[in-house]
Amino acid sequence: MTMIVIALALCAVVLFYMAVRSRRKQAGQSLRPVNLKAFRALMDRDDELFLSRKLPRSKSFRLKRHRIRVTLRYVARIAANSSAVLRMGEAERLSSSTPEVADAATQMIELATEIRLKCLLAMGTLVAEYALPSLQLTPGVLAPKYQSLRDSVSRLGALTQNRAPLAITI
Amino acid sequence: MAWKLTDVDLKQLVGILWVAGMVLQGVLSLVLLGKKAWRHFPVFTSYALFSFIANLSVYLLHDSRKLYFYGFWISEAITIVLGFGVVYEIFFHLFSSHKALLRLAGLIFRWTIVALFCVALSVVLVQSPVASMLRNGVLIFDEATRVVEVGLLMFLFAASAAFGLHWKQAEFGIALGLGMFVAVELAGMTLRSQMHSHDGSPWQVLDVVRSLAFNTSLLVWLGYLLAPERATSNVVVPKRAQLEQWNQAVTELISR
Repeated sequence: MTMIVIALALCAVVLFYMAVRSRRKQAGQSLRPVNLKAFRALMDRDDELFLSRKLPRSKSFRLKRHRIRVTLRYVARIAANSSAVLRMGEAERLSSSTPEVADAATQMIELATEIRLKCLLAMGTLVAEYALPSLQLTPGVLAPKYQSLRDSVSRLGALTQNRAPLAITI
Repeated sequence: MAWKLTDVDLKQLVGILWVAGMVLQGVLSLVLLGKKAWRHFPVFTSYALFSFIANLSVYLLHDSRKLYFYGFWISEAITIVLGFGVVYEIFFHLFSSHKALLRLAGLIFRWTIVALFCVALSVVLVQSPVASMLRNGVLIFDEATRVVEVGLLMFLFAASAAFGLHWKQAEFGIALGLGMFVAVELAGMTLRSQMHSHDGSPWQVLDVVRSLAFNTSLLVWLGYLLAPERATSNVVVPKRAQLEQWNQAVTELISR
């Protein structure tokens, strides 16, 4: 038990150190582009089924794992972008004097939060599929929600008139 | 002889660090009062002020062994309760602006508390045969409560990373300072509860480490409270050519 408790204390120190590093990184973090078309193509089950029919089992599994690794990068990027939008929305909400802007920022925050949660879920299912490639758990709900976030950012950009290129970027 | 000299040196070092800690606590109290921190962080302000007064009182009582013992452990118990309050205060600050997350995070927070209390209970049950003395019993109880405190602080940092939440400067500093001290205190308490003698160099070394950790936490709190809030960086839009290059690379990758 002594070792477990000391290990817990050490884990805590490592976690705090990582939090300090991640906070520093976050300060200079900007939005990174996501190719939704490519993302959707990666998630296409028909492609996957076609490959699994045409290829030997081991090869199709290897390919599926490769696709999952790439999809995970997309999901991670969407998650990071949602987090950046969350921060931006908070700053906008706190600094705005117009109720319209504050409302749009709140909507954007809620959507970004929802996407962030869905990203967590998607990452979980992708990791499960990576471990067991015969599973079929698609995070297909993410793409339409992300599109919706783009629209929200666009609306906020139109209201504040200084974030117009943002929706195009993400 | 050399061993005894080292022991004396360590005792002196603990004394110096204790006084330095009280000076830092005094400065922190002034900063908190000057910044009217009780408006945003009433529990943390109470925690810092109480710790300062308690530490000062215990220092003045340290010649009387009995008074020192009771004074130290009573103030320690109150500080631990206030520490839990600080953790909840940070949790509330972090999640209150995210209504969609608050319910889910609150649910996970409550279950984390239940799980950590089970761990704490097992710490008490597993280690209780060693506790033949009152002081060891108190140490084990302290260790068990620190397990819960460290676990909750770890939950806060892990949840904020998972949900991608942004910490405000002061919130982050308070949680970080508390977390650092409590983690070191937990490791120290665990090692102490395994020691049969309360004198000698190992015990003194743990005292030095504890004092250093506490003073570092005070510096962290001061640093984060005095530093200006970082402005949210303006979003940097990447160049279109960069996007096209990236798109091309991914398209090639997926169409291979």
